Amino acid sequence: MHVLPERQLHLAVNVLASGIDWRRSGGFTKAFFDPAFYASVAQTAERGMLDTAFLADNSFLHPEGYPNSGLDPVVTLAAMAQATSKIGVVGSYSTTFHQPYSIARVFASLDHLSNGRAGWNVVTSRNKPEGLNYGFSELPSRHARYGRAVETVEIVTQLWDSWQPGALVLDTASGIALNRTLIKPIDYVGEYLSCAGPLQLPPSRQGRPLITQAGGSDDGIQLAARFADGVFTTSLYIEPAREYYTKLKTTAARYGRSPGQVAVLPGIGLVIGATEQEARRRAAEHASLNGAPTGDPVAQFARMIGVNPQDLDPDKPFPLELLKPTGDTYSSVGFDTSTRLYLERNRELTVRELAARGRPGGHRRIVGTPEQIADDFEEWFTTGAADGFVLMLDSLPSGLDLFVDHVVPVLQHRGLFRREYAEDTLRERFGVPYIRR
Amino acid sequence: MAERTLHLNLNLGATGHPRAFIDPQYYAETARIAERGLFDSIFLANISGLRNGVPTQGLDTIIVLTIIAQATEKIGMIGTISTTLNHPYSIARWFASLEHVSKGRVGWNVVTTRNNNEGLNYGFDPLPDRVTRYERAIESIEVVTALWESWQEGAIVDEPGRPAHFDNTKWAPINHVGKHFSVAGPLQLPSYRKTRPLLTQAGGSDEGTGVAARYVDAVFTPELYLDTAQANYRKLKDEAARYGRDPDTISVLPGLTPVIESSDATAQRRRAEQADRAADPAEQLRAFAKWAGVEAAALDLDKPFPIEILPASDPIFGSVGFDNATREYLRHNQHRSVRELLSDGAGRGGHRNITGTPEQIADDIESWFLGRAADGFILSLGRRPRPGSLEDFVEHVVPLLQRKGIFRTEYREDTIRQRFNAPVRSAAAVLATVE
Repeated sequence: MHVLPERQLHLAVNVLASGIDWRRSGGFTKAFFDPAFYASVAQTAERGMLDTAFLADNSFLHPEGYPNSGLDPVVTLAAMAQATSKIGVVGSYSTTFHQPYSIARVFASLDHLSNGRAGWNVVTSRNKPEGLNYGFSELPSRHARYGRAVETVEIVTQLWDSWQPGALVLDTASGIALNRTLIKPIDYVGEYLSCAGPLQLPPSRQGRPLITQAGGSDDGIQLAARFADGVFTTSLYIEPAREYYTKLKTTAARYGRSPGQVAVLPGIGLVIGATEQEARRRAAEHASLNGAPTGDPVAQFARMIGVNPQDLDPDKPFPLELLKPTGDTYSSVGFDTSTRLYLERNRELTVRELAARGRPGGHRRIVGTPEQIADDFEEWFTTGAADGFVLMLDSLPSGLDLFVDHVVPVLQHRGLFRREYAEDTLRERFGVPYIRR
Repeated sequence: MAERTLHLNLNLGATGHPRAFIDPQYYAETARIAERGLFDSIFLANISGLRNGVPTQGLDTIIVLTIIAQATEKIGMIGTISTTLNHPYSIARWFASLEHVSKGRVGWNVVTTRNNNEGLNYGFDPLPDRVTRYERAIESIEVVTALWESWQEGAIVDEPGRPAHFDNTKWAPINHVGKHFSVAGPLQLPSYRKTRPLLTQAGGSDEGTGVAARYVDAVFTPELYLDTAQANYRKLKDEAARYGRDPDTISVLPGLTPVIESSDATAQRRRAEQADRAADPAEQLRAFAKWAGVEAAALDLDKPFPIEILPASDPIFGSVGFDNATREYLRHNQHRSVRELLSDGAGRGGHRNITGTPEQIADDIESWFLGRAADGFILSLGRRPRPGSLEDFVEHVVPLLQRKGIFRTEYREDTIRQRFNAPVRSAAAVLATVE
């Protein structure tokens, strides 16, 4: 595949507070509710010229382990925007729990605060405990959640467009601030939502915030192909990743968009070492600092993939027929697909051996050297499997320091990644300038 | 008893320059000036929609609070978030997060939304009625407070020389099931140290006073006259006492717009100029009639306002507090003609407007404070070069208040609760109070 010289990797860092750095005494021990942790990670990512910081988010406290996130994403994104000047600030905000007017106002505000570096990651929330915090004894079905998500995105984008060019007059001499004839209500009435508008603030420098989405299910792919400028995916193996890549870009074309208008960014776990041995040692050290897993590993394995432990014989291969079809209210189609593929490709292993390898499926992980990581990125990037990656470092901030200091220079040397920020806004960086229709 | 200190709070509207409503820097700079003047807090009103006139609120309130928290070190910041339009889990998480960013300096001004245009942006047509909105507000306060209390101290154990430890037994779900909300909890982050966000409310109606006396730490009131302000002040403090609270732990903060002049003569001239600005009396009369809720045709410019034509307060979408202030104003001014009333300007807004020298303004503030009509004020002040700017107040009025011994000369406290003498009350203790 011919690579255009201007095509560059897009790299986002998923700012997760878990990992192991928090255990370092005197460090960011309170990472999940420490604004300084988030500011510091964003600054390091900016030193490495990454496209954007990315905040995943759930609205509940996971009962096990150190929390991934605590601070509200609105507050965290604002704090990160204030601590940086170039890097993007993209965060997840649920369409199931938040009203579109709030979402539109929050992200438009972040776009003004960051001077055109904000992005909204559209999520529908699928964890039962999140629903319980927001009054849902059962979450709405996947289909209903996506129906509401589509309406939410339509309302949010219409609100962002509710000020036409020239609406902001700001004539100090006459005292006229706005040309009200250029500010229009949206009067949206949908099946799930209605909103009058207009928004109470104008577009920022990049026109409107970037929109990203994690689209694994069919509903998700449609939503992403229609609206998203970037998609976060779960891909364990390169061939299905290429299939997904092609499918998404083709679907986008059906919505009248060019394939370059939606970037595909698979998640990638990274444990980095100067040598492979060092990387493995780092992985082992982190595992031991996490403490020996308690309980029966086979039972934990069964729980992770949602099957009954009693149905498993630890010394036999995993019976694939036990896997339930994906798509119910609380499943992630992306993760389920990845798990099925992983189990299919490891049929020679016993359940006990599978359990010893940790989490089945999910995101791909590389434990290796900067060169190995760069080789892998290059292959995915140049053979139609990815436009970039969402980096999930083993731990923050130390893993990101390793990436920025050792992997980024290799990628730059190969001409795959920028040496400086050429663009000011996040949309320009992703090659998706907003053109008002 | 702790020495009683005046509480000065800045009502920060984006009025400094036309771009202010979308300018993060404007909020940061203005907050720093107020901090230089040792103000207790910055107050942010909030409208969830675009109003007529010059826009004064654009950027999201939670984001502005974050900006101010990061731009300042000592001053408090109080943000208005509606319980009609927002879910208590979100509210609890926003303000708990802001506590960590500000290190214990944030406050939540609890409001219900009564403006139909805001409701239409949130899918309400119409808004819930007043009783439902109040119920929902009270339940929101209870849920939010319980979520803030869902963690005990010491979840993170960090001792030098050994890996930090996370004790995930230090929280408990709240399992709230009420008329308007079901919230399992716990919140997904602990509180900042042992403090909690300050709770404030705009008072006015009888229900409002009851809620304030039971739940909140400070009340913003529309008061135009010393005698009624004193009566309302006593009423609120008495009611707080009936709920078993120390009346000194709830602050009464009337709105005030001081227009500072350098001398008596210029102050009078400024007032005269304001009156002269009656470029179009017919237009002024229409605006005045609209404010009072009557037909312009029913008013005679040269006669007093006929109080008997005032409509009854709208129990659903009206603000009883502001309607009462309107009534009070008109009652106090029965000896003046409508033409004279037209020149009163901002005084009609429900908040008091005083024009004078720094000395006169300081004396007025002192008399309200010592006369137990107010524990402090929420001040509406513009920015230079406007007359009566925040800068003028900080430079010319604050030193006079300090000389009178009623205002601090340095920040002594770290958290907004310490500054307002408002100890944390547990949700259980609040629930246990019965009048």
